[in-house]
Amino acid sequence: MTDKNIRFLVVDDFSTMRRIVRNLLKELGFSNVEEAEDGQVALHKLKSTTFDFIVSDWNMPNMTGIELLKAVRGDPTLKHLPFLMITAEAKKENIVEAAQAGASGYIVKPFTAATLDEKLGKIFQTLNK
Amino acid sequence: MSDKAINSGDSDELQALFDSIVAANSGPAETPAPTPAPASGAASAPSAEPAAAVTAAAMNMDEPARSMFASIGQLTRKVHDALREMGYDKSLEKAAAAIPDARDRLSYVATLTEQAANRTLNAVDVAQPLQDKIESDSEALAAEWDKLFANQLSVEEFKQLAARTREHLKTSANNARATNSQLLEIMMAQDFQDLTGQVIKKIVEMAKEMEGSLFEFLVQFSPAGSPAHKPAADLDDSLLNGPVYNAEGRTDVVTNQEQVDDLLASLGF
Repeated sequence: MTDKNIRFLVVDDFSTMRRIVRNLLKELGFSNVEEAEDGQVALHKLKSTTFDFIVSDWNMPNMTGIELLKAVRGDPTLKHLPFLMITAEAKKENIVEAAQAGASGYIVKPFTAATLDEKLGKIFQTLNK
Repeated sequence: MSDKAINSGDSDELQALFDSIVAANSGPAETPAPTPAPASGAASAPSAEPAAAVTAAAMNMDEPARSMFASIGQLTRKVHDALREMGYDKSLEKAAAAIPDARDRLSYVATLTEQAANRTLNAVDVAQPLQDKIESDSEALAAEWDKLFANQLSVEEFKQLAARTREHLKTSANNARATNSQLLEIMMAQDFQDLTGQVIKKIVEMAKEMEGSLFEFLVQFSPAGSPAHKPAADLDDSLLNGPVYNAEGRTDVVTNQEQVDDLLASLGF
């Protein structure tokens, strides 16, 4: 069973979307959630605090989600972190780019709670292997 | 011939200028040398040769005339445009004035939708604990009632259970009422849709109008053959496109989560 106390970092420039993701995570039993409004802030938080899971948007000012993903995968202390992309970017190119950059999952907006639950479950399953 | 050359201008002076230049350049040779009709020239070989010579001469004369023609054409165009500029100025001015208006309207839409989302989420935040309390208390009481029916409660315990149940029913009624008012709040928060819908409709109309006048302007002012009305599809190459608002006929985008999953699976992820 997955540890419900794992620490999430939700990265999105829209506060409403951060709230929705936070609420959905809470609904799924994960209440240990931090937020960041762009990749830059997220990277700063990742380097100063310990997190277990990153959920990130793609299109954000200052530092996009894909840049954050690449930065995370390029950092030896962070590269192991699961990274779930939740974005409105729906071009196949985007999905391929994210997968190649090392994303653990890709969800297109608008999405449902069931989708989030399923993707998280899949990622945890891979982690526990 | 000269009429045809200058058909886009209305200036008599330019017409006269053009005629004089054509006359000076072509000299004695008649410029509008009719190309030999194939039917008449086919009969005799000797008559075909002088005809060809005349055509070649006309071509030679045409070269300087042609560049003159081009410059004069441009001059004519400038005059033409200057005459109509006022009108275009107005339409461009209107288009430019519409941009700040559209910007304001769009930020209004952004504000309204954000407010609605926050209002809804706030209502959920208030209502959820109320529902949680009803749920947990009901479960606890139900478990005790099960014990009672299994003859596991003393009379004193039963009295307490009855009192707690009575209290619970009152609390539940209050919580249900409070939850209902939050549901109403959520419902009311959706009123943004009406407002933003209207505003967006106006922006769409405005954009249409702007596109129309700008397109007309471009057609008039851009050099011939330039792609004045090319859709902005080329700009779409980046990876920052936002939501796909019209996926019809597109093969480069996914339209649901299954397609995302299939694509990733096909790539071995």
